[in-house]
Amino acid sequence: MGSSNIELKAGWSSSKTNEPLRPEEQEAIISVIRRNEEIEIAERQRVGRLVERVEKIKLHAVERGPNCCRLCGDAFGLLRPQRILCEDCRKAVCTKCSVDINIRYHNSERTREIWLCRICSETREMWKKSGAWFFKGLPNYDMPVRSASASNTPTTTPTAGGGGGGAVAAYGKAGAGKGARAVQSCHGTPARGGRIKKLTIRVNDTSSSSASNSSASGQSEPEEDQLDGAKSNTAGVVGATSGSAPGNGTANDSSDRQRLQRDESFRLRAYGSIRSFIDGGERKLSNSFFFGRQANPNAGSRQADGQDYDNISNASTVAQLRREGSFMRRSSVSSSWSFSDSSGSGNSATQTTQNPQQQKQQQQQQQQHCRDPLLGWLELAISYRESFHSLDCTLVRARDLPAMDASGLADPYCKVNIVTPEGHTKYTRWQRTKTVHKTRNPDFNETLQFVGVEPEELGNSLLYVALFDDDKYGHDFLGAAKVCLSTVHSTSQYRISVPLGAEDQYSAEAEMSQSWPNGKMLISLCYNTKRRALVVNVKQCINLLPMDNNGSSDPFVKLQLKPDAHKNKKHKTSVKWRTLNPVFNEEFYFEASPHDLNKEMLILTVWDKDLGKSNDFLGSLQLGAQSKGDRLQQWLDCIRLPDHFHEKWHCLASDNPTH
Amino acid sequence: MAGGGDPKWQKDAADQNFDYMFKLLIIGNSSVGKTSFLFRYADDSFTSAFVSTVGIDFKVKTVFRHDKRVKLQIWDTAGQERYRTITTAYYRGAMGFILMYDVTNEDSFNSVQDWVTQIKTYSWDNAQVILVGNKCDMEDQRVISFERGRQLADQLGVEFFETSAKENVNVKAVFERLVDIICDKMSESLDADPTLVGGNQKGQRLTDQPQGTPNANCNC
Repeated sequence: MGSSNIELKAGWSSSKTNEPLRPEEQEAIISVIRRNEEIEIAERQRVGRLVERVEKIKLHAVERGPNCCRLCGDAFGLLRPQRILCEDCRKAVCTKCSVDINIRYHNSERTREIWLCRICSETREMWKKSGAWFFKGLPNYDMPVRSASASNTPTTTPTAGGGGGGAVAAYGKAGAGKGARAVQSCHGTPARGGRIKKLTIRVNDTSSSSASNSSASGQSEPEEDQLDGAKSNTAGVVGATSGSAPGNGTANDSSDRQRLQRDESFRLRAYGSIRSFIDGGERKLSNSFFFGRQANPNAGSRQADGQDYDNISNASTVAQLRREGSFMRRSSVSSSWSFSDSSGSGNSATQTTQNPQQQKQQQQQQQQHCRDPLLGWLELAISYRESFHSLDCTLVRARDLPAMDASGLADPYCKVNIVTPEGHTKYTRWQRTKTVHKTRNPDFNETLQFVGVEPEELGNSLLYVALFDDDKYGHDFLGAAKVCLSTVHSTSQYRISVPLGAEDQYSAEAEMSQSWPNGKMLISLCYNTKRRALVVNVKQCINLLPMDNNGSSDPFVKLQLKPDAHKNKKHKTSVKWRTLNPVFNEEFYFEASPHDLNKEMLILTVWDKDLGKSNDFLGSLQLGAQSKGDRLQQWLDCIRLPDHFHEKWHCLASDNPTH
Repeated sequence: MAGGGDPKWQKDAADQNFDYMFKLLIIGNSSVGKTSFLFRYADDSFTSAFVSTVGIDFKVKTVFRHDKRVKLQIWDTAGQERYRTITTAYYRGAMGFILMYDVTNEDSFNSVQDWVTQIKTYSWDNAQVILVGNKCDMEDQRVISFERGRQLADQLGVEFFETSAKENVNVKAVFERLVDIICDKMSESLDADPTLVGGNQKGQRLTDQPQGTPNANCNC
């Protein structure tokens, strides 16, 4: 196409004069923008409602793993619902909770039938209805009810404004309050506020009807007050530019700005594929960030774009840069939730080129994240104090962790270590945070300090965080994250939000570092439909406590299914003499209906047989619908898939539940 | 010019009962008839008096297409260059463009290429464009033949219509076609999104297994 600007001008318009806009022209344009504003507000609310709808469905999804419908939790089986893989999320759903749609191959008339779970089909609808399909990400939206879900309006205010201060402060003028606000409204309102404000300024500049206009805008946007600090900053920038190029220049300015803002809003939201949405709702922001990396081509086109701008409207390159700067700042602040260091990189040419390495990492991270099941998000802040050679790692919060008990909650805690370039863990002792109970969205806010970290180590070491579910009978893996430390500087805090990935050698190591003094037990469960009984096979135990003088024990296992009103649901194994790793392989039958099993609890206790005195307690295990993690999984599997043995290792706890 | 007080507009704009919202932009040289075209479509009115659009304006119309209610926000832009910076600001939100020239005006036809460049520069990549030669009722003053228009459209890879806002020729057809094209793009983007399909199939194998197996063979 390549037509030069000279041609553009020559071939074009009737009026080539760059005379400033007259007041009445400004008013006309402002009134149009106002009307548009109303539509956009309504639109944001509409999109918000669409999003909320999907979120609500997601909220009701049980997500009990691959053997159950992700939505209703029904288990699959021969006589049970058919297992269908959703085309989009690849999770298993039952026929009730899915729809089949016919889609057309886009280069042929052939159609193909695909199945989608209700979440994904609704997500697709939302994607269409909101226009996200076009913009490659959800546009700005306002959630109808703010309190609908706690993590939708991330309670990041204190950290984003305060804790994130290190990073935020680097961006100078964009104040902390603004930061908080921007993060909070990832369903962003800044565009609106900024635009109106800016128009007011413009009118001020041309000193006509300023009073009426500003008051009008003030009335229409009363809630924008909280933004004022930040706005006046941008206002300053606008003022500066309009000073240098009055009239048309300011109009220029406003449109540029609008454009930038619009860009901004899209950038903030997503840019990603629909998949980012399928993967998870509440983690939109961080998701969008990671998928945002994918949008590098976009960033490129925007660069080109920006250049063109300079050519076409030579308003003032400096002003433009400054403006971009201010927006970069804005976006940085807003997405400091995810990656304060480089979040602006999509935004400006310089930053994009600055951190190719970092981007590569992020891409890798992101790729990895695409491959693995998404296990939630972890937000942390890392800072390095060179004088102490100490790395302070603040585990801020985690989001969307897998549920571990029947009520859909978990008791997460983190274990943290540093992985050296050689691939070993630096410390033999893993540091751990406190457990945050009964939540999938824990706020840890706990700082773990690693001392003896040399500055040069930072370059190629990884911080490794593994999250586990705290439980008496074993700590179930929730997710793990690696953070490259090369971007950590001694000057500022480095905030990052990372997706949690699957188990690996380090998480296994972290898990192993946990001592289980009472040993472990291998249990196999089966519900026998013919005998209408639960079959418990006590297979073996390992690493039991030595209780006798000879450094060994004489273990046997007692089993009881509770509640046991008639005291007839008790069994015990034979005694295995002088061993800490007994192999029992003994089967026991407990008559019970599957329905009963949902309310019952199998209590296993391991004892050291002593002749002539009372037996010593060695350890206990409880399995039932009230258990967590693997125990719960095994119990449910056993009920849902009867006549199959479900075998699992469990840790033994030191407390005696029969007492 | 601004249809702010128009009750019909008010009704349409406030109407939230729709499925999709498409933003369309009409661009083209000054006085090719963009505003008339929009007024004809949105209000079914026409006036031959020429009033230059100040900067930008828009109208809202909800149409029913393929069992879906589509709300159209149609932006009318000033052709004059002095408003260019304002008008280009709205390119980015637009899903479809109606690029208009005047069949009685050679200049306006020659500028089409430049407008395309503008679209490429400022709009999203997947924005859809229709080329429209307006004022086809003025046969006696015609300087751009239908054939020339169609050739240019072919060359640009866009669809082409000759219209008359005055005689209400093809006005509705243009919008309907544009809506259809965008709808097609929409289903294409979702149903055949390569990232979606590719990413998932890869994800499938890796997602499904680890969840089920690791505990079964873990003896730790």
